Parts: sequence; C-alpha cells; structure tokens
Amino acid sequence: MKRWRTPAALVLVAAVVVACSGQRPVATPQGGGSPEATGPVKGGRLVYGLSADANGFNPITDQFAGQSYSMAGTIIETLTSVDADGDWKPYLAESITPNEAHDEWTIKVREGITFSDGIALTGDIVKANLEAQKASPLNAAVLAPVESFELVDPMTVKVDLKQPWVVFPYYLDAQVGMIVPPSSLSDPKAASQKPVGTGPFLFKEYVPDNRMVVTRNPHYWRQGLPYLDEIEFRILPDSQTRAQTLDSGGLDAMGTTRDEDLAKYGGQKDAYTVHRSQGMAVAEYMFMLNTAVPPLDDLRVRRALAYATDRETVISTLRGGLTEPADGPWSKDAKWYAEGGDYPAYDLAKATALVKEVEAEKGPIRFEIISTPDPNTMQGIELAQDMWRKAGIDVSIKQADQADLINRAVTGNFAATVWTAFSSPDPDGEYIWLHQAYARPVGSVSLNFTRLKDKRLSDALDVGRTAPDEAARAKAYATVQERLRDLVPYVFVDHLNTGSVVARTKVHGIGEHVLPDGEKGLPVTGSPIPYHPFYQLWVDPQ
Amino acid sequence: MIIVNRLVRLLAVLLVVTFLSYVLLNLLPGDPVTQILGLSATEEARTQLRQDLGLDQPLLVRYLGWLGGLVTGDFGESYITRAPVASALAERLPVTLELLVAAQVIALGLAIPVGVAAARRAGRALDQALTAVSFALLSTPVFVLGVLLILVFAVTWQVVPATGWTPLSLDLGWNLTSVILPAITLGCGQLAVYARLLRTDLIATLQEDYITLARARGLSPRRILWRHALRPSAITLITAVGLNLGALIGGTVIIETLFGLPGVGRLIVDSIFSRDYLTVQGGVVLISVGYVAVNFAVDLVYAAVDPRIRRA
Repeated sequence: MKRWRTPAALVLVAAVVVACSGQRPVATPQGGGSPEATGPVKGGRLVYGLSADANGFNPITDQFAGQSYSMAGTIIETLTSVDADGDWKPYLAESITPNEAHDEWTIKVREGITFSDGIALTGDIVKANLEAQKASPLNAAVLAPVESFELVDPMTVKVDLKQPWVVFPYYLDAQVGMIVPPSSLSDPKAASQKPVGTGPFLFKEYVPDNRMVVTRNPHYWRQGLPYLDEIEFRILPDSQTRAQTLDSGGLDAMGTTRDEDLAKYGGQKDAYTVHRSQGMAVAEYMFMLNTAVPPLDDLRVRRALAYATDRETVISTLRGGLTEPADGPWSKDAKWYAEGGDYPAYDLAKATALVKEVEAEKGPIRFEIISTPDPNTMQGIELAQDMWRKAGIDVSIKQADQADLINRAVTGNFAATVWTAFSSPDPDGEYIWLHQAYARPVGSVSLNFTRLKDKRLSDALDVGRTAPDEAARAKAYATVQERLRDLVPYVFVDHLNTGSVVARTKVHGIGEHVLPDGEKGLPVTGSPIPYHPFYQLWVDPQ
Repeated sequence: MIIVNRLVRLLAVLLVVTFLSYVLLNLLPGDPVTQILGLSATEEARTQLRQDLGLDQPLLVRYLGWLGGLVTGDFGESYITRAPVASALAERLPVTLELLVAAQVIALGLAIPVGVAAARRAGRALDQALTAVSFALLSTPVFVLGVLLILVFAVTWQVVPATGWTPLSLDLGWNLTSVILPAITLGCGQLAVYARLLRTDLIATLQEDYITLARARGLSPRRILWRHALRPSAITLITAVGLNLGALIGGTVIIETLFGLPGVGRLIVDSIFSRDYLTVQGGVVLISVGYVAVNFAVDLVYAAVDPRIRRA
C-alpha cells in the first residue's frame, strides 16, 4: 500500500542533500602547483584556521597569545617589528634612538598615519598607550625598568628608564607596543570586542569561539596594501578536524603543531606550502625542575635526570624524528646560540652512578612530576618516567589541568613538570624567567619558576640587558647558556620547530614580510603555533 | 498546581546545583587571577585583581552575592572577557538548542521506524541486522563517528562543510549544511538507544490480550502496530528522551569542539579550564532550567500519549 512513499521519501532526502550541498564554500586542492603569477593580485578572500579563540583584542587589558596576534594584528600595529636577522626595526615609529647610556629612548612617530576611526596617530596617543601598558597589571613586570614617558613634541615621546636597557624596542614589537586610538583607551570593554587600529584591515565581525572577519582598510598608510579584500579567521580547536577542514577546502590555511600534518602536507608540495618557525622563534620542550625543593635541590639529581634522558628516543618516538635535540634555550640556527658548559648528554651509566651516590647519602630518590592530561604530553612524561626509572629514580605522575599546572609553577607547588618556553626574538625576553631577582621562596609568586638563584647567570643576564656592545651581549648570553647547562634547572628535550603554518598553494605571501622601510621581516614567529602578518598575503584569482 | 509544584522543585534544584557547582569549582586547584593576568604578573597585581574581583571574600559571601544578582537577572560578568555572562549564553544558546533539537529529530525520526520494523520481525534477519547496527552505533564514540563522517561527507564527497557554523537567521541552507553532520553524529548514539527501547516495549505490547483481540477482529497488522501498539509502547522512549537531555548536553561539548560550533557546552568547558566561575555558574543555571523544563514537558506528553496516566 502506498508504494510511492518509499521512493518519494528517497527523492525528498536526496533533494535535501542536494539543497544543503549547493553553493557550499569548498574547492578541491589544486594540483600541478600554483600558476606562477605575474605578481600579487588584489582582491579575494582568505579563510584561516586557528586553534583557539582570543581572550579579547584589547592589548592593554587582555592577555595575548599567538591566535590573538594573528587576529588583532591585522587591525592593530606595533611601534617596532623584528627583521629576518632578528634585529628590531621601527614600524609605526619612524625611529627609536637611545642616549649614550641607553637609559633613555626617544620614539619618533611616523607621520601621516591615521587610525581607522579617522584620528591621526600622534606622540601623545603613543604616550597614552605606553602609560596605559605600564599601569596594566598584565605588563607591570615587563615594563618595570621604565621610569616615565614624556611628550617632547607632537610626534616624539621620550622614555626614561631606571637602568640601561639596550633592547627596550624589542618589547614594542609585541602586546606592549600595540597602539590603539584614544576611543579604545577610554572604553576598554568595547576595544576588547571590536578592535580599532592603524592596521591593514578593519574589524567586521566577531563571533566568540566561531570566527572573526576583517575587511581591507582602504585608507591603509602603506601604499598599495593590503591585497586581500577579506579574511575570515575560523576557530577550530580540534587539530584533526581543522586538518580535515583544510582537506575539504573549507580553509585556505591553518596553524598546526602536529607532526603528521608536517609529514602529510609537506609531502604534497603541489597542493600545499608549509612554513615552519625557526631560529629564536622556536620554543624548547623541556622538563622544568623546582630547584628549591628536595630531591631536585641537589644538582647531582638534576644532572642524573639529564644523563638518563635519551632525547633522540623521545624525538623518534614522539615527534617522528622531525625536531632537533636541545641542550639549551636556543636552537643551533638561532643568532644567540653558543656552545659551552657541560650539559649531560645521554649516559645511563653516569646517571646510575650519580643516583647511587645520592642514595648513599640521602636514601631513595623519589619525586612527583605534573602533567596535563592530554595524551601527547602524557606519552612524553611516561617515556621520561621509564628512562629515569632505569637510572634508579622513582617518579610518579600527577595529572593537573593547565590552570592548576600554571598556578603550581607560579607558586612553586611542584617538583617537576613539562614545559615549553624560550621563543622571544631576543634573549632579554627571558630575563624575568631566569634572573635570581625574580626567584621567590616556595609559596610566593615567583616568575623564575625553577627558583634557581645563580649569581653568574643573573649577572650575565644583566650584562645582556644593559651592554650596548653586541659582542659583550653575545658573551653574556654564552654564559647564560653555559650556566643553564651546568646547573640543569631544565632537562632540555628538543627544539619544538614543528609549529607551522600550512597553506594551499593558491595562497601567496606567507613568510614574505617586508617592513615599511624595506627590510625583510621575520617570516613567522611565536609558539607553539606560529603567527605572521597578513597585509602581504594574496590569493590566486578564482 | 502542577506548574507551581514544578516551579518550587525547579528553585530547589537550582539552589542545590548552583551551590554545589560553585563549591566544586572553587575547590578546583588553579587561580582565575593567573588565567587573567598570565604568567608575568607581579604578586601586587595579582592581589589587586583578586580584591577587584571579590575573590578575597569568603566563598559563601561570594555565592550569596552571585545569587542576589541572579534574582535580579544579573548573571555577572566573565572574569576573562569581562562581557556579561547572560549575553555570552544568549549568543550561544541557539547553536546548542538547534543542535540538540536536530539530533533528537534525527534520532527519533529514524528510531521509530527502525524500532517498529525490528519488533514486527522480532528474531528474524532484519531484526538481527538492525540490532547489530544499533550495537555498532552505541559502541562507537561520538568523536570517532564525527571524524569518520567528516572524512566521508566533507573531505571525500564534499557535500557538506567539515566545520563551522552559519546561524539560522543568516541563511537557512548554509545553516542546515553546518548542522547536519554534528546532528547526525550526536543523534546516532541516541538513535540506537531509542530503537532498542522501542523494539523491546513493542514486542511486549504485541503480546497483550487487546492486541490478540484486535487481530481476531481482523484489523490489519500495520494498523495494529501503528495505531494500537505504538502509543502505549512509547512511554519508556519518551522517558528516555527527557532523561537523555543531560547526556546529550555532555555530548554537545565534544561535538561543538569537534565541529567548531560556538555552543553553550564549549563555553562551559572552556570556562571551567580558565576558572571563569561566573560563566560556568550561568551555564549551570541554564542547563538546570532546561533539564527541569524538558522533563516537565515529558510528563505532559505522557498524559497525552497514554490516557491511563491522564486518568490516574
């Protein structure tokens, strides 16, 4: 009865599927490589996948991570930038010059720049931004050496420091140096949701945990830029489905840290390009040790842990052999890398001997290591646990979520934990994490999480911060690396250069960052997933 | 009277649930201040912010303060984004609601014919095949099913987008494409449960005396099944639909993360990880009210479906 019902239902289902699938935003991956165009083409839309949402877009009140810089960086610009050699260069600033002692910097603001709300960029706006940053609890520690800001003339701001600070302009390349208009300063909540700046794109739409859309700024001060009409940042926290969305054509580019993505997309050079972070931008993966609590207050135990850690095995097991073993905070291709010191290379016999020596004095070595519960991190910890057990060290694993782990690190309520750090463009960016002045007793807030107090290390950090001579700085940072290798507050594992940006070949310009005065900019930076500017990106015409 | 009774129960549930969740959240190790200020903030800055947020107050004082605000409709502000919690929930609620409704429609829409077909041919090949499929769906984790569906329908066939969300108000067609895979993924597990429940109850009902009488009176098997057996057999199914709301909300967290949907589940989980207490509390209130309301609606449906309950 009613035999027409079944076929009719099937037809209806098919119609729905066809209706749903019509005009979907998908395209098949291009084969045969990109047609090498005559040059950048104006227009087009880019859909870019990010791994997380931002906490907000106000650089004065909201904590910025890589994804914040990707999104907000299209709208808000910084006073300085970093070039391909790792040196700072002026950006919104026309020049930034120190006095002889480097305890006073003069920022001359570039002429002819306006915010998208029509207000001209002037010295007093820059001064107001810097003062707001110094007053902000987010950056009080970073700007601690700053005494005051003074408006010298309508386009010039003088920064008085409490001490010489030779790399102060580097800090203006990040959140601290992002300049917003007076309207954003007076209404921080609005600035958090709807950013305004001098940048190449204008805010169009933001749906939390879903997407942010920006459109081309037709009055951008850099002539002829940007190329794209619109960018949609899509927030896709699951790395697997983010990659699948790229495969399906739903994304044009995305950030990733997965080794399998590097292998997969790196092997399809006709369809995808892969841009990996390098040099100082690469973060290091390590086990962070609390040197203020037993048994890790004993240098022999820390060295035994490093001797027992087979970094090559970790890399081949967990990273598919894609990373390089680390023996310090900077990779060998980084400008500030220096050899020296006695970092314990894998040697189980030496580890065992040290363990026996300590055990004879103090009894069995036992401690707890804290890990976030995600499978990748747990795998690494379990591998280390097994290696250390072979040396006679009994380590138990405690799981904690990210918020708990960070809180324990800050207050010293941990013996060891897994950590990723050291990706600042200049070594001075690591000052507050390593200097003994920032090491506080367990129970107090300490920015030096290992609580290592070493005068030679701290003196070297001070020289690096205050010496104008680059050779003196290089020597100082060689000492820093030497002391870290000798004292082992961190068991270094590898340089985590698997953070990368994968793009379809129709997307051009990633890594081709040119600064306003013509220097080549740092291609990609930041960790764990790198970020980059978007003004220079363009896509093949449809 | 029933409504007043339900409202009183709802208030009691809200008080208990919100208090427990507030206490449990505060027992969690980790500090919202660190989440807001990051690692490089000084001790002084942390202390100041703790005072500004009222986190230096005793837990009970903070809870009562929050409850006082709630009575006046003020859910508070997110610690992290400083946006009103009510706005954040209002923005995300339509996404989760649509996902839940679509998943239930898919689950029920397929479970009823499947359950009926299996019961009608109980023990035969079709029943065994449907049973096997049901168990396969039940034992497949939603994240595995989601990834597989994306692989087939978005990556290989490219008939729907893999991820992303278009609001219903913006474009119906695009909205349907963005909800269909997540809804199927979420609904499949429920489909298996519902089909199994309906099959079992239908088999029992079909052995009742009144069904034998109906057969003796010459009614067609189809009429007996759909008109006389299905309604009394649906009580357990309706109960399960109401009770499963909690499980479905749990499932939406995974689905929303997997498919990049900006829903309430994802907001609550992200807020737990960032120790954004007030946002979590707002979400708990929303879910509690929704859960009680749905189960109240289920009670009303009982009466409509089975006259014996109405008369009881």
